[in-house]
Amino acid sequence: MTAVRLPAVLDIRAAGTLREDLLALRGSDIVLDGGEVERIGGLCLQVLISAKKTWAMDGKALTLAPLSDALTEQLAAYGCADLNTDLVGATG
Amino acid sequence: MTEDPFEAIKATFFQECEELLADLEAGLLALENGEGDDETINAVFRAVHSVKGGAGAFGMEALVRFAHVFETLMDELRAGRKPCDDATIKTLLRASDVLNDHVAAARGAGAPVDEARSAGLVAELEALTHGDAAPAASAAAPEADEDEFGFKPVQFDPMDLAPAAAPATSGGGDWRIVFQPNAALYAKANDAGLLLRELSRLGEATVEIDASGVPMLDVLEPEEGCLSWTIRLPGAVDEAAIREVFEFVDGDCDLAILRDEAEAPPVEFVAAPVAAPAPDLDITALLAAAQAQVQAPAEPAAPAPEPAPVIAAPAAEAKAPPAAPETAANAPVAQAPVTIRVDLDRVDRLINLVGELVIQQAVLAQRVSETAMIRATGVGQGLEDLELLTREIQDSVMAIRAQPVKSVFQRMPRLVREVAQMTGKQVRLVTEGEATEVDKTVVERLAEPITHMLRNAIDHGLEKPDKRVAAGKSAEGQVRLAALHRSGRIVIEISDDGAGINRERVLGIAVEKGLVEPDTQLSDEQIDNLIFMPGFSTAETISDVSGRGVGMDVVKRSIQSLGGRISITSKPGEGSTFTMSLPLTLAVLDGMVVSSAEQTLVAPLAAIVESLTPRAEDIHLVGGHTPVIRFRDEFVPLVDVAATLGFGIGPEPASTGVALIVEAEGGAKAALLVDAIQGQRQVVIKSLETNYQAIDGVAAATILGDGRVALILDIDALVSNTRRSVRKPDLKLAS
Repeated sequence: MTAVRLPAVLDIRAAGTLREDLLALRGSDIVLDGGEVERIGGLCLQVLISAKKTWAMDGKALTLAPLSDALTEQLAAYGCADLNTDLVGATG
Repeated sequence: MTEDPFEAIKATFFQECEELLADLEAGLLALENGEGDDETINAVFRAVHSVKGGAGAFGMEALVRFAHVFETLMDELRAGRKPCDDATIKTLLRASDVLNDHVAAARGAGAPVDEARSAGLVAELEALTHGDAAPAASAAAPEADEDEFGFKPVQFDPMDLAPAAAPATSGGGDWRIVFQPNAALYAKANDAGLLLRELSRLGEATVEIDASGVPMLDVLEPEEGCLSWTIRLPGAVDEAAIREVFEFVDGDCDLAILRDEAEAPPVEFVAAPVAAPAPDLDITALLAAAQAQVQAPAEPAAPAPEPAPVIAAPAAEAKAPPAAPETAANAPVAQAPVTIRVDLDRVDRLINLVGELVIQQAVLAQRVSETAMIRATGVGQGLEDLELLTREIQDSVMAIRAQPVKSVFQRMPRLVREVAQMTGKQVRLVTEGEATEVDKTVVERLAEPITHMLRNAIDHGLEKPDKRVAAGKSAEGQVRLAALHRSGRIVIEISDDGAGINRERVLGIAVEKGLVEPDTQLSDEQIDNLIFMPGFSTAETISDVSGRGVGMDVVKRSIQSLGGRISITSKPGEGSTFTMSLPLTLAVLDGMVVSSAEQTLVAPLAAIVESLTPRAEDIHLVGGHTPVIRFRDEFVPLVDVAATLGFGIGPEPASTGVALIVEAEGGAKAALLVDAIQGQRQVVIKSLETNYQAIDGVAAATILGDGRVALILDIDALVSNTRRSVRKPDLKLAS
């Protein structure tokens, strides 16, 4: 089980790095610490969803915990309040 | 129609930009002074938003990018998520300066934008937007930031719509918005999250995400958009409001705005840039309209290019950003006055014609009086009515050209900030009378002298903070810029609370430069005025800030060329005040028509205090040759106008003539001796400089009712000639 701390600002500039960091951990169960996230943009959201799909396909666990209030609120605004459960099409 | 309609719209956009940027700065300054409220923040947001919107339509990427970062912070401020404190406002003010630069650069009018400064501000704005987490990173590497943030043209790659876009099940009439951002949307620093948030402000929204397009992580392109959303909004929400949310991302996302019907018609997905029929006017609609006009057959004898200007006003309104419902409800935005943009040439043509009308009216009046037509016939009354009407028309026409000096004053805070920074001084600029109106030509030509004098006031007038503190003043110096109307003229005052003019030094420089003889005895006032002498100011005596190769003599000349004058008062330790006085208009003047040595002259009525018949016993000679006249317990110089201007000799003895007591700027009086007064009349000013050359003592010329040319006296020059003790007046009037 590897823990990864997500940066405070997950905007367009963070998307590429986030993807690479996560890819490097492929194959292991990971926990994403979103406790400090202040802002998440659509592109980083994509990366997380893509990772979620990838880990599911690999049969590994990817958990997002804990979540900052801002992250919780923003995920809800994106229509995916709980990234840990299945999303529409996310596991498809 | 020969003008490119696209260019015309672009020109309109830049005109709007000027107004928006002015509003922006005014709002920020109000906030800085603690006068702002939520609506002020909203107004600033709207200004930036509108600039960004227009710029987006014209593909001005750098401008859009900067405006976006600016706008994002404003959005945080108006939502109350970030405090609008002093430091933030100062940053916003500097950001507005850079935004100005971006607009100027986009217009091709200004120097290229200082990229480092712009990037630095982007970093600062982002730091403020994101709180304390981001600033270190982005501020530390502004260049990298710039690169990453830079606009990258991305292939438009419409993705297949996801199953989630299937017909909705909710009640009939609700809105269903299917939205998929493309890479370009993100690359332009927009974000799906922002748009979703804007939408949810319009009403109770349900947001459904579709992640079916998201691939596995190893093949995911991190900057491509592959999520899509379906948002449902109540049917009561205005469609225009929804479209406004997407106004600036039109080409950068796939968008369908649908209204659910009971029958749930098949979903028709359309790419936004092609199909979105703009319900209100916006730049896109303007472009389409212009395009249509190009294709339409040419209108017969269209007098001038006008379609763009005429629709400009509604466009500005339509571009107002979506207001949050609560804001719309409790903060009514002031109704903008209805305006049209008119080509200046047309106004000027009208003004010229009215000028001719005034002259013709005078000619007619004179002819009628010569024929001794009787008042009983009503001709006299009719003429009087005509004169009133003519005057009213003239006033109204002049009012078209009148503009508040605000447009010039508003540029000054930036200048003050920059000069203060360069000189290491602390300056507070106080402006007064911004609403004072004056002719457009005057307004435009005020900018340069005011700029120069403000620079001088800060650079030379104010002391450094430590010196000020040592002198018992506050560290922050104050520069006051005021405009007011005084006796039919506009007066601009620029004062500082600095050290005042160092007369010893000024005199020293003047002697050194050979401008005055070393042994000359000069009054304080005369020494102060030395700074206006040509050749006083040189590279050695001025710093980088003031030294732009322009001395105060040039400032004085440019003011004089407007029919104005400048004076200075200074108190050691307390500061200096420069006072410019300019005519409100360069077109008409109320004058007293007088005759002198068989010439007809006009004295500006505003300068005349009184007229009297001099009594021999009131006239005295000072020093045996300089005549003065007693006037209410004081002696004022008596000026024989004909002799002074060199075309004859005035009434002899003086008591056979008439003396006009006139007051010059600064309060100095003189008595102008003429033969007789003919009457009071409004005259149309014809420039002597344009038609002949400048003449000392003569301000301009006019055409009288009988068709003769009359010279208009320059009262200040005449008065100051009497007070000149250093040099003899050099009169140039030939004959």
